[in-house]
Amino acid sequence: MAQAASDLRSRTLADIPRSLDRLIYLASMRDYNTGLYYHDGLASRFTQEVACEALADCHREAFSQLVGCSLRELVSQMEGYIDSTHTSPRDFVAAWKKLEPYRVAVPVETDPLTAQLLFSSFKIALAILEARLPSIPPQPSA
Amino acid sequence: MISLIFFLSVGLLLFSSLFLLARRNTRPEGSSSALVEARQALRTLQAGLLPLELVNRVFAEQDWEYVRSETPRSIHELFLDERKGLALLWLRQVRIQIRSLQRFHRGAARHYARLNPRTEVELALSFAALMGACRALQFLVFVAGPYAAPRMVGVVANAANRACKISEQSLGFLDKARLGALGHASDAAML
Repeated sequence: MAQAASDLRSRTLADIPRSLDRLIYLASMRDYNTGLYYHDGLASRFTQEVACEALADCHREAFSQLVGCSLRELVSQMEGYIDSTHTSPRDFVAAWKKLEPYRVAVPVETDPLTAQLLFSSFKIALAILEARLPSIPPQPSA
Repeated sequence: MISLIFFLSVGLLLFSSLFLLARRNTRPEGSSSALVEARQALRTLQAGLLPLELVNRVFAEQDWEYVRSETPRSIHELFLDERKGLALLWLRQVRIQIRSLQRFHRGAARHYARLNPRTEVELALSFAALMGACRALQFLVFVAGPYAAPRMVGVVANAANRACKISEQSLGFLDKARLGALGHASDAAML
């Protein structure tokens, strides 16, 4: 499993420098119905079980790195992430505030308090990003 | 009429006593499930609640400095509310797990004569001091916010870690004692 995790880190994850992006990416590799992770390339080099374990391991690692970030760092990572998605910051902030997608990006068996800490930090970071958005100019009345 | 009221009162008293007795936890305090519960509480404390990185993150003053210096006032209140909620949640969880350990040790001390009395007394004092410190910190955080007593956070976390270590030693002994008892039981069964 260690070899598969190392392979994943040196190939796929090497191109994803921010832990927030890694967390989102790795969470998207997980089947919501079974909780198992799938990665065809990794499974073909190793086995499906080993690939699943490696992905879970890297997911836990990304989560732990993000929890360890300061609020300043989290805000900066979110700004970078918004840039990389090519979404308008206003739409992004509105969607994340409404849907709270980060709640499903947490690895299984995460300690509830740690998860709560990250959710709370995301909430504050989104409020900071929202406050930084340029105000919309008033529409000229007809 | 007076005797009717008297007998009804006696009946009600007996019924209440029976009800309270039935509601009492009937699980023996020295049982395996109590030991498993204590182990679980210890694990939750050591792996989930007391790691230094987590405690430092929850009470990180650098986050507050960042919010205070670089964000508008509207964010300040949100930040303090969120961190206060987290701090109180952390303290509540620590107290719940410590109380669970305390309950177990109180029961175990009655069941296992070979437990080191000095360790158990030390543990009882640690638990009592810790619960008091948790209560005081909870009050301070509730009244004055998450950054009211940073030193006390460290004191509580260190005291909890110390109590966990002493408890772990005791639980280690109890595990051996239980395994020994199971070994004797299986030997007897084989004979």
